[in-house]
Amino acid sequence: MVQSTLALGVEAVGCAAFDAGIKGAFGYPGTPSTEGFEAVELLIHGAQDGRVAQWAANEKVAYDLALGMSYSGHRTLVTMKHVGLNVAMDAYANSALTGVRGGLVLLVADDPGMHSSQNEQDSRRLAEFAWLPCLEPSTVQECYDLTFRAFELSEALQVPVMLRIVTRLAHCRAALARRKTQAPTGLGPVPEAAVQDWVLIPANARRRYVDLLDKQPRLMAEATPLNRLIPGTIRRGVALAGMGRAYFGQLLHENPALSALSRLEIAAYPVDPALEQAFLAQVDEVVVFEEDYPVLEERLGLRGTAQIRGRLDGALPRTGELSPRLLKDALGVEAPVGKAASSLELPIRAPRFCDGCGHVDAYEALKEALVQVGAPETRVFGDIGCYTLAAQEPMAAIHAVVEMGASISMAVGAALAGQNPSVAVIGDSTFGHSGLPALLTAVDSGVNVTVIILDNRVVGMTGQQPSQALDQVERMVRGMGIPDDQLQVLLPVPKQHDANVAAVTAALRHAGPSVVVFRRECIQSIRRGVLKDHDRQERERCTTEVCS
Amino acid sequence: MNASRIHGIVLSGVGGQGVLSLAQILLEALRRSGLHALQSEIHGMSQRGGSVHAQVCFSEAALTSPILDEGGADLLIALEPLEALRYVSMLRMDGHLVVSEEPQMDMAGYPPLDDVYAALKAVRGAHLVDTEDLARRLNHRQAGGMALLGMASRFLPIEDGVWREVIAQRFEAKGARVTEKNLEAFEAGRGLIHDPVGA
Ligand SMILES: Cc1ncc(C[n+]2csc(CCOP(=O)(O)OP(=O)(O)O)c2C)c(N)n1
Ligand code: SF4
Repeated sequence: MVQSTLALGVEAVGCAAFDAGIKGAFGYPGTPSTEGFEAVELLIHGAQDGRVAQWAANEKVAYDLALGMSYSGHRTLVTMKHVGLNVAMDAYANSALTGVRGGLVLLVADDPGMHSSQNEQDSRRLAEFAWLPCLEPSTVQECYDLTFRAFELSEALQVPVMLRIVTRLAHCRAALARRKTQAPTGLGPVPEAAVQDWVLIPANARRRYVDLLDKQPRLMAEATPLNRLIPGTIRRGVALAGMGRAYFGQLLHENPALSALSRLEIAAYPVDPALEQAFLAQVDEVVVFEEDYPVLEERLGLRGTAQIRGRLDGALPRTGELSPRLLKDALGVEAPVGKAASSLELPIRAPRFCDGCGHVDAYEALKEALVQVGAPETRVFGDIGCYTLAAQEPMAAIHAVVEMGASISMAVGAALAGQNPSVAVIGDSTFGHSGLPALLTAVDSGVNVTVIILDNRVVGMTGQQPSQALDQVERMVRGMGIPDDQLQVLLPVPKQHDANVAAVTAALRHAGPSVVVFRRECIQSIRRGVLKDHDRQERERCTTEVCS
Repeated sequence: MNASRIHGIVLSGVGGQGVLSLAQILLEALRRSGLHALQSEIHGMSQRGGSVHAQVCFSEAALTSPILDEGGADLLIALEPLEALRYVSMLRMDGHLVVSEEPQMDMAGYPPLDDVYAALKAVRGAHLVDTEDLARRLNHRQAGGMALLGMASRFLPIEDGVWREVIAQRFEAKGARVTEKNLEAFEAGRGLIHDPVGA
């Protein structure tokens, strides 16, 4: 123990990766994973010892960057939110077959209760799907310690290791004891003899798949020391993972009588069936406390020896996150009575656009342009970012929001079904994330689709990280095949409203694909000076070089 | 303070008011007082004017749960009156509430202010403060948060010196004058609670 600081759980993962000697960190922002990357980025920038921290255009790119770094023999961390792993799934699942050289740890932040996400999928299922190990901490210190362990395991087992955390832990701040920082040490690239392992043509892939399945008992054996079976004195028990483990630990402290229950505490997967059987042999009834999907609950239930209670039998709600109260209710522990809630009706205070946000001016221009072309009822396909707020009343300017990059393809699909005009609204970072291939297809389809790109120069929603599309949007649009006369760049300010309406109207009327870029920097990013250095450097470059 | 018990503080307000920053000052002050402390916050969309809340738990024993139960908080610190009402049921029967009277009404359906004040005054252990007036008197626009923390300090097992240290460190980068103004606001708040029953 060399240092004690206050850190968020997700930051502890970043610190641990740095201290475990990673050469590089990669990621794509997404709540609540973002601060994990930012913590390691800060350390790397401070260290100036040749390490790198690089945001990627999307999660798949981030994962492949990490895999390349691992191939070259270095430890690496890659961070994303749960839905980001859907985007990186191709890379993740196939990297199970190649295996890794330098330790590769994937930090995935799940969001039970959907505090800032569109679903509450469970990443443990994706680790299981890929036949890969997953570690699941329950405290800030465990975030740190298990990240260290994950790097060791990754190199010992030669597979990527997932570290799964959830919002409550990611955003829990507590004292953290750090170990001594290790300098990055390279193992050297994949040796000659192992190169074929990384070439997943069918002949090699079949062999590697067998290798991966053969490795499973070792994965379980390595997981077992991190899991615990604590016998009780009665034939009832609890199975605990993640925040379930944290909440139960606290409850036990307050109610020592609960130590009569047998406990199965899980921090690492895959879980050895022998451990489950040993636990089930001691109990007739079990309550399972885990976040998101009933992963342990189903596994224990399949054995049919004990009554398994949890999300599936209604002992706990089927959706949403765990809470200390839910544990108390399920275990029949008396809950405290507090002051009476106010009888006044308290309407929710919904988040809204910052005062002066350019997205608002852009939407106002779009709405009026739709009136101008006689189609005010047009269903507009939106995307994910701050601009999603426009789906709320009274603006109600977008009518579908599914997953990053969906707007353009959905608008093309609707146009192919006959909708005219068909409109997509997408942010600059989202455009770089997954809008590009969709625009390529839009151009190829030739249908009347108007793509509105809201370019505020940053990833506004997740804390104003510089967008990878920064200063590139027009070039990207032209590169996908949109002709110059169908690309307009507008300034979303109230003064330009009439001109903007006219420009969008022209785009809506054009029979083929067209793009309108609204560009004005995010107010929060201006306030924080996020792009100040970047813009100054650009200005200096422009005075020395010929710039258009 | 009862040593083995888990103590809890809820902080609430509107995005941009500095709820999380207050929570962090509290957490640091508790930690420096030799207590085990955890803070939970939810962020992601906070700067865009929605409700924001944070929780701080502390105890003399080690803690693992960052979440308080309803009826589990000793103290509620609210930077906005409506945002205080949302969390009243988090308070223990003998819990206290320190709340700013300054409303942020830019939302749909804000109830009549008088009703909000009446509901707050009906809560036993509620201490309302006119932060707008205080800010004017101290000639410090953002005095409210620090004043509320000063009020809250009367109910917390943290020594005066620790508070001063933590606040000074927090504003160090902004210069001596800003630090001084914040310490002044803290003291002003502290002076508003005379007899902290049950502290
Ligand atoms: C696959 C996936 N990755 C990450 C996120 C988290 N996320 C939500 S919106 C967003 C990007 C927003 O940036 P931009 O499109 O530029 O819009 P802005 O918020 O700046 O208006 C991100 C990264 C997500 N929802 N899905
Ligand atoms: S953070 Fe930026 S993009 Fe998001 S609402 Fe505020 S000004 Fe607009």
